[in-house]
Amino acid sequence: MSSSIQDIARTVKAEFARMTGSGCSFADARLYDEDSSEYLMLYDGNLEANTARLERGIGVRVLKAGAWGFAATANLAAIPQCFDRALANSVAAAKLLGFPRDMGKGKASKGSYHSPVKDDPFEVPLADKLDFLKRADAALVAPHVAHRITQANFQRRKVFYWNTEGTEVDRWQLNTFGMLMVMAPDKEGRNQRRSHELCGDGCGTRGFEWLADPKCFGANAESIKNELAQLLAAENLPPKRRDVILLPGMGFLQVHETIGHALELDRILGYELSFAGGSHVRPEMIGKLKYGSKKLNARAGIVENSPGTFGFDDEGTPQRDYLLIDKGILVNVLSSRTDLGEANAKAGRTVVTDSGTAARSCAFYRPPIDRMTNINIDPGNDGTLEDIVKATKDGVIVDVPVSWSIGSNREHFHFGCEIAWEVIDGKRTKIFKNATYHGHTLEFWGALDKVGSKETWCLRQVPNCGKGEPNQIMELGHGIPVMRFANVETGEKE
Amino acid sequence: MLESRIRDLLCTARDEAKKQGINAEFSFHREHSSLIRLGNSAIALSTFEDLTRLDISVFDGRKTGDYGLTADIVSLDQLRSALKKAHDNAQAALPKDYEPIFGVVEKTIDDAGGYDPALENLSPEAKGDLCAKVVKTMKPKGNYDFSGSWSSGSTEMYLTTTANSNEAYRKLTDGRLVLVLKEQDKKWELSVEQPGRAAKDFSADAAIREFEAMLPVYEKNPGFRAQLGHQRVMFGPQSISQLMALAIWSGFGGRAWEEKRAFTSENKPGDMLLSDLVTIGDDPTNANVYRMPFDYKGIARKAFPIVEKGVFKALMYDSATAAKYGKKPTGHDVGSGDFVFAPGSGKPGIAAGLATAGDALYIPYLHYIGLPDPARGMFTGSSRFNARQVKGGEFVAPMCSTRVTDTIPNVLSHVIAVSSKSEFFDVSATYGRRTPEAVSVPEYIICDNVRINDVADGF
Repeated sequence: MSSSIQDIARTVKAEFARMTGSGCSFADARLYDEDSSEYLMLYDGNLEANTARLERGIGVRVLKAGAWGFAATANLAAIPQCFDRALANSVAAAKLLGFPRDMGKGKASKGSYHSPVKDDPFEVPLADKLDFLKRADAALVAPHVAHRITQANFQRRKVFYWNTEGTEVDRWQLNTFGMLMVMAPDKEGRNQRRSHELCGDGCGTRGFEWLADPKCFGANAESIKNELAQLLAAENLPPKRRDVILLPGMGFLQVHETIGHALELDRILGYELSFAGGSHVRPEMIGKLKYGSKKLNARAGIVENSPGTFGFDDEGTPQRDYLLIDKGILVNVLSSRTDLGEANAKAGRTVVTDSGTAARSCAFYRPPIDRMTNINIDPGNDGTLEDIVKATKDGVIVDVPVSWSIGSNREHFHFGCEIAWEVIDGKRTKIFKNATYHGHTLEFWGALDKVGSKETWCLRQVPNCGKGEPNQIMELGHGIPVMRFANVETGEKE
Repeated sequence: MLESRIRDLLCTARDEAKKQGINAEFSFHREHSSLIRLGNSAIALSTFEDLTRLDISVFDGRKTGDYGLTADIVSLDQLRSALKKAHDNAQAALPKDYEPIFGVVEKTIDDAGGYDPALENLSPEAKGDLCAKVVKTMKPKGNYDFSGSWSSGSTEMYLTTTANSNEAYRKLTDGRLVLVLKEQDKKWELSVEQPGRAAKDFSADAAIREFEAMLPVYEKNPGFRAQLGHQRVMFGPQSISQLMALAIWSGFGGRAWEEKRAFTSENKPGDMLLSDLVTIGDDPTNANVYRMPFDYKGIARKAFPIVEKGVFKALMYDSATAAKYGKKPTGHDVGSGDFVFAPGSGKPGIAAGLATAGDALYIPYLHYIGLPDPARGMFTGSSRFNARQVKGGEFVAPMCSTRVTDTIPNVLSHVIAVSSKSEFFDVSATYGRRTPEAVSVPEYIICDNVRINDVADGF
């Protein structure tokens, strides 16, 4: 810890004493000593984004009389005033108090987390990164490709966390994202696209070396160009009910939208109603609700190489790995410490016992809220994609979202996909464009009838999950196998 | 104008850059934001953020580089360091195949007309008191819980570049109160929104009146499941703002049009595309919007017709698209527009709209819109708050969550009535920096032949 951080820590601890003396039951502080980001984007070979950014500041929370107050400032000379603001906010909130907020019993944590990285992208010279992207972009050039996008973005955060229970943890987190996309007008003159995002098996390191690994990124250029060429000559997916096979590139968003968000405890308790929405899940359903078929095992997992792995959450709680849905039954939810008592009271029994270590904030100027971590589907035993295709009489394989629209309680959904492969009598036949499917969450997950084995499991990154007020963009991961769902409404009836 | 301490630092940094032959744009943003979140009829969170941001863009021929800071601006050395980083990024950049457009502040602008100190300093106590009045008045009348949020604050934006010594400055306040009433057994949700530029724009009594006007239909009737297929729909302010935004961004953005990704790509200005009841523009002179006077390239913004009586008038070009395609930028390097759906000749008042609609679905909110096929203007989204079945010109039942999947050209070609009364509707998001945005929309429009493709069991 540098001397300036030690000075800030001393100031924060003095403020903790002052807040506790003012009647606060809990207080915490998150110092973002460094929050760096870099975004590079080539559009048709032109460097349209060449942006670096640095944020530095502190966010503090105080809990007094069961009410939270939060304040943030970039002025690190004004930390006492920041605590004053948070305290005033807490006092004001206590005037209209519902279920008193309570952190429960806490245990002091000490420790550090460091993302697994070989080559820190912020230490790689810009010219080298651009040279890499230029070569990746050149691989997308083809006569049938009208437009192409090659992009990378990097984040590096050094966060120090302290609370009044004696917790002192720090995180050095690094994220690397990359995307390749090709676009062209189809035979009707309407744009089609095919893309690939940096992904992997959840192991290894997540620095610049990951982006530079051809099998995870650059080598996908050929396949997306080839598939775009086929899309340009393809027909729209004819509407009908059929089986739907989700590749991990599509399945991750299905999980994200209809399991992940639906199981955030703050949504379940109604704290997101005015913006993101609520949930079809109620606290009393935990432990009882049949969320899906027996093939469905979903977890908040710890994956070595993922933006959803962070060591300690933004309440300083060590991240843990636990099941959310066990053989189709809802057994847990995504939570932080603060809402557990309310959930149990509303359920009329104990439905949650420990923090789901899902308290996360996206910046020093945003308070922690219940967020996804790595929301994964455990691999099944139905073999490879080809095994599942062979077992399908009338279906369609879909990949990569183009659009997503979800009901406000996550009870129904509509997805558009970049590409679809028809499957008839166990064989892929042809490619369709403008593929869509829609359904109702519990019915859909209840129709899960094939789950691919470990070799189909893939870690997809989400760099842009939006939630909360004030709004927050969060990074997370989903480890997903190939999944098949029976008898789903697909395509659009004109 | 921006406080002199920071302004002097920025102008000095600008002048130093100019002396060194560096072409640089300096954009400064400061916000004082506060927000309370309401959940389960209580204040769940109260926040305050005091943030300053600086963005510097450097142009070196066809090469550009940017550097941004979110940190307190305290010294010239800090600005010099940030400028150097932007300059280094530009020097290392790949040259573009076109000449990028460097920002020139066309004229000095000093606009604080939309600033209300009372709203900037609106205390969490005052917000809590208003919310408490709504909760304490309404809650005893039913098994209701309230949630919501109330964001308010001030925003300052300042722009200067090495092209000249002009400065563009804007300071304004904005606020948005959203209250949601949820019935705990039946699960329906009603919402009341109040946007405001000044502290006086928010009223507990008005919110209570709005809730009470909606409640009888919800209390007395079970949920209505709309039939799938094509229906008459009466849209309200939020859903109209969504349809307008979809039309604008999937139809009238210069880059999407040039690259055949717009639903208008086969058309040209002068073509009749939509109903002659549809007139849409970007109008920073309209009284119902936040009126952004300049864009981030320094262009002084003015009224910009996009669709006039159904006729395609013009495309919006940001500076990068304009430079790439040899067009003139239209003042659309903006974080937020001032979009206006012009009022029509329909009688004012929801009751008059219902009478015109006869039998219809009333969908005032469209939730979570997706664009499965943007090149056709295809969108999908579902009803949410305040949606009701309309029969014989009256509300008769609350509607279960209903999905609309259609194309913008189809929906906006089948408009049969547009209210003559406009509403100020706040569409600001608080992702990243505070960026106030409002639209002016009719209180209702009625459209025939709107495709309903799914209905849920609940609300």
